[in-house]
Amino acid sequence: MAEKTRRKVPIVDGLFTWSPDGPRLIATRCPACGSIQFPKSNVCNNPECDHSRPVEECLLSPEGILYSYTIHRYSLPEPFSYHKAPYAIGAVELPEGIIVLGRLAFSDEKALRIGMKVRLKVDKLYENGDTTYLTYFFEPVGGGEG
Amino acid sequence: MSESAIVSTAITKWVEAGSPTPILMDRLADVVLQALKEAKMKPGDLDAIICNTTAIPFDSPRNITTSAQLIAHRLAEKIGTHGIQCINVCAACASTAIAFAVANAMIKTGSVRKVLVAGTDNSPRGFYLSGQSILDSDLAASGIKAIGITNPTYWAMWARRRAYEMGVDVDDIKKLMALVKVMHSEYGALNPYARYNKVFTVEEVLNSPVVCDPLHLYMISATSSGAGAAVIADMETAKKITDKPVKIVASTVGSPIYGEPVPRIRSLATVGGNKALKPFTEWRLPIMRAYKEAGIKPEDVDIIECHDTSCFHTINWIDQIMGWEREETDKLIAKKQIRHDGELPVNLSGGTSSFGEAVMAQAFVMVHELFRQLRGEAGPRQAKKKLRIGLCAAYGGYGSYGCIILEKGW
Repeated sequence: MAEKTRRKVPIVDGLFTWSPDGPRLIATRCPACGSIQFPKSNVCNNPECDHSRPVEECLLSPEGILYSYTIHRYSLPEPFSYHKAPYAIGAVELPEGIIVLGRLAFSDEKALRIGMKVRLKVDKLYENGDTTYLTYFFEPVGGGEG
Repeated sequence: MSESAIVSTAITKWVEAGSPTPILMDRLADVVLQALKEAKMKPGDLDAIICNTTAIPFDSPRNITTSAQLIAHRLAEKIGTHGIQCINVCAACASTAIAFAVANAMIKTGSVRKVLVAGTDNSPRGFYLSGQSILDSDLAASGIKAIGITNPTYWAMWARRRAYEMGVDVDDIKKLMALVKVMHSEYGALNPYARYNKVFTVEEVLNSPVVCDPLHLYMISATSSGAGAAVIADMETAKKITDKPVKIVASTVGSPIYGEPVPRIRSLATVGGNKALKPFTEWRLPIMRAYKEAGIKPEDVDIIECHDTSCFHTINWIDQIMGWEREETDKLIAKKQIRHDGELPVNLSGGTSSFGEAVMAQAFVMVHELFRQLRGEAGPRQAKKKLRIGLCAAYGGYGSYGCIILEKGW
């Protein structure tokens, strides 16, 4: 089936946007204390927050620094068998001060380095019938060390 | 406030997980009766039963999981009681360690005198697929579905980050982890209750398949099935039962901490921004509390049993328990000083490495080993140095932690 006729569906609703002006992770910011959390939540997670105002949805910075990573050599069994090895997962430090885990897109594993700059993208996780399931990836940005 | 002491322990042999035999509750009842016999008690003498819940899976979204959770009540019915306090504790792989904290607190308040801590577990084989019920759509638990995160994902990233922060090659920590496996396997081979009795070489570990680098297959614990029990009493009662009671000088519980900068198992992100704490504060805090409760310092610890679901864990536990520079831990391991004849014996039981993990019941292995070591009853695994204080550290998913410090009570 041609790519354009497939329906594109996020693997989990509410984690990311994938609009033409660039994908972003959906988080929550607390206007009372400034605490940021991903994934989004209905309440602030800061134990010292006075909860005087409701939390607001916000979008996280699309670029960050690779904190650590690993490459999986085993595919997962059902019902998660669409996670096929080899696949990489990275932990990425964002300017907001939090570390977010995501799929790490790579072409050359030897080029992966802690400290390198990475950028968010939304891409195909797997296809099933007429549906393409999407998830978020971090991808190395040319320029190397952050 | 009464002091509390362990008067008896028993564990089964740990066996392969993922099969319905041996029958879960039968095996638990057998090991409980063994512990009660050593404590010279009948089930009717008990004031409370505290059990861990289990990781037993269910095959249909229509089946509710209460039978896997109400183990204390099922056990009370099976061995017979006169109407006592039955409590079930769920804290993932730290469940049993926290069951001890509950028992210890109950005895110290004087509300009970004789408590049975018991438990068992069985789980599917392979990766823990911590999925979600279709009735639970919490985004925070969507990591495995959305990006394929498993528990070893975290361990591998922690190990690589430790090497990076120390300025060493990732192969260095790989070799250190292989050496941990080798030393743990030597004691697994000497422990009749351990599932694995093979002694590994560094080469065998490094030649095993990579699961997620830098972790190789033999650096990661398998899933196992097993059961354990311990009888705890106030010190006055304990001394009437045995001339070698093992005092619980601290038993603490940890939790997810706001500001922990290291991604915790099952979480998709850290929190806290610029207010971030030191790495692994969550692991360290219950240990610090335990030191305070016991009135001791890290250098007073003679022997450690720690929850080593991967060989990285043993390294990280030593970092956190000793609170020293990470290079000191590496030296201790490289010089093989965690063996029975070393400066600081670690996991002379053989560890989770040799037992495999009976998920929520795993701390029985650690407590049983420390109890036997402190009493000088560990046979060929007995530490050579004189022992007074032993420390057990457990951790589990979602930020669950437990620390128990035991001391010779005679």
